[in-house]
Amino acid sequence: MERTVAQSSTPQGRYTLLPSRYSSEDILFCIDVDTESLVEMKVTGPNGRPITRLDSIKQAILLFINAKLSINPDHRFAFATLTKSASWLRKEFSSEVESAMAALRLLSADSSSGHADLTQLFKIAYHEAKKSRAQNRILRVFLIYCRSSIRPQHQWPVTNQKLFTFDVVYLHDKPGPENCPQKVYDALVDALEHVTEYEGYIFESGQGLSRVLFRHMCILLSHPQQRCLQDLIDIPKSLTKKSPTADSAPGEENPAASSQ
Amino acid sequence: MAIDTVPPLIAAQLNYLLSHSPLPIKVEQMWSGSKNHGLLDRFTLVIPFCLDYIRWDVIYNALYPLAAPDIIFGPEDESFHPYHTAGGEGDLKSPNKSLSDWNCKDPTRLLSLILELRELYMTYQRKRVGGVEDERVKFELSTIVPREGIEMYMSSGIEKTEEVKFAVPLLGVDINKMVTGCPWRHQQKIFLQVIFPVGKKYMSAPSAPRLKLVDSPELKALFSIEDFRLPPWLDGMCMAEYLPILEGLLQSQIVDAVSSIDVRRKFIVALAPLFGRPVEADPVFCRKAAFLTSSGVFTFLHFNPSGAPIKSSIITEFPWSPRWESSEMAERFFDFLVEECLNFKKYCNESLLQQR
Repeated sequence: MERTVAQSSTPQGRYTLLPSRYSSEDILFCIDVDTESLVEMKVTGPNGRPITRLDSIKQAILLFINAKLSINPDHRFAFATLTKSASWLRKEFSSEVESAMAALRLLSADSSSGHADLTQLFKIAYHEAKKSRAQNRILRVFLIYCRSSIRPQHQWPVTNQKLFTFDVVYLHDKPGPENCPQKVYDALVDALEHVTEYEGYIFESGQGLSRVLFRHMCILLSHPQQRCLQDLIDIPKSLTKKSPTADSAPGEENPAASSQ
Repeated sequence: MAIDTVPPLIAAQLNYLLSHSPLPIKVEQMWSGSKNHGLLDRFTLVIPFCLDYIRWDVIYNALYPLAAPDIIFGPEDESFHPYHTAGGEGDLKSPNKSLSDWNCKDPTRLLSLILELRELYMTYQRKRVGGVEDERVKFELSTIVPREGIEMYMSSGIEKTEEVKFAVPLLGVDINKMVTGCPWRHQQKIFLQVIFPVGKKYMSAPSAPRLKLVDSPELKALFSIEDFRLPPWLDGMCMAEYLPILEGLLQSQIVDAVSSIDVRRKFIVALAPLFGRPVEADPVFCRKAAFLTSSGVFTFLHFNPSGAPIKSSIITEFPWSPRWESSEMAERFFDFLVEECLNFKKYCNESLLQQR
């Protein structure tokens, strides 16, 4: 499968930083607003108020955008939603945080959609990607999907012209007899491999924990032109002293490496 | 800019100029020639010249879209008459010809007209400077004439003393080529601005002119002229003597700046085994790299009341020594950040308690 390989790895996957193209990103968030986005996360918010997947997603996106802009204030963001198909929520790419916050306030769940077709999303992305490239930028589509039984479909042709990178975060229920999150995940992986220009990343979680979602979002800060293969991801590394110190403060968190 | 109320033929020419001009020309304001139609058919162009700007008004007429525009020059340039160039009929570059053969449908026309006029303006200013009755300026001019690319300007206000300004491009080298993977769209250059007062008397010990280094906008990613100290202008010096000295010093600093890119590159690569692969790093100038790390179980995520995540302030004091190899530097940096991270966690916890 032809895919643009990031320049910054030796064949063994060791990190190198050779002079290469470095484009600012246009990132198109596509958020699934099917009723399943209203499933509650495991941990409640302040005052015991339940937090839905959509609440966590909004906060995660804000975290992502703030971090991305700290890294490079030239990155830009736009927003779409997914019901049966994709439609624009905020079309203009902008690097203003306030603009993103305003768009996220408009985000609300829809009724149950039945099916999910990604064709329109890819069409939109393809069209926008051409505009991005004309400005020496690259386009990334960032899909956040919430349905545990509905496999997304698409009719995107096989093409050598892969103009955008595709990342996915998949939040789902624990697998059971009534659902098929594994099948959904496989369909998302297929779609990703079908369309993505640079290495795309896909993360899934059925645990219902916001911090897991935030962690995945942070890894997804990775710039597509500088990524390694997903199997070789080695971040986040733990910021702990290499040698044990005699006077660790009591109550300090266990510095064992996180296993997620 | 409300492009959609600009008549399409004018918009096409203006857009072409803005996107294809070799010089960073800007539009300062746009207005309408008539209250009746309200279409924006007039605008002011701000054109770089001699490390400063000249402003010319471009006057189209929305009611006569086929006609060429008029150009109004600045109030100090009443003696600038590009239509009366010595070239006359046979001169292909004469704006007379551009204007008489005007093709309103050709989007490139406005840009070529402006560039031609700018060339003629340069010649006009050169004549004015040449005509100055100041022995010293005349001498400087004669020694500097062989150099390519010099622009000059004579300012004459009734209130101000007359001054002659030279903009001298420095360094014959192509700086863009010195940077591997250079992303610059335009050629980057450094200029020396030299300003001489114009006086009638020849002074036996003329004072040093005013000197200033000016760089093109993107150069600071490689090299900052703020950090460069100009060599002194010794008594009795002239530009022909001063420039080579200046260029020699600049050249060596630029060569150093280029090799420091690779020093920074090595450092970023040395951080990777400890901090993980950076999520994003600048691969051309190596001035920035972002790493993602965790401390303990990834649970703390603090937002201030407006919903934005809390960031620490920028850390400016950290362990550094030119004697350390990049791998040792990386390790000391890592140990330093382990400490800082604990401090930051404490700070976040405290501010969270305060919010309750």
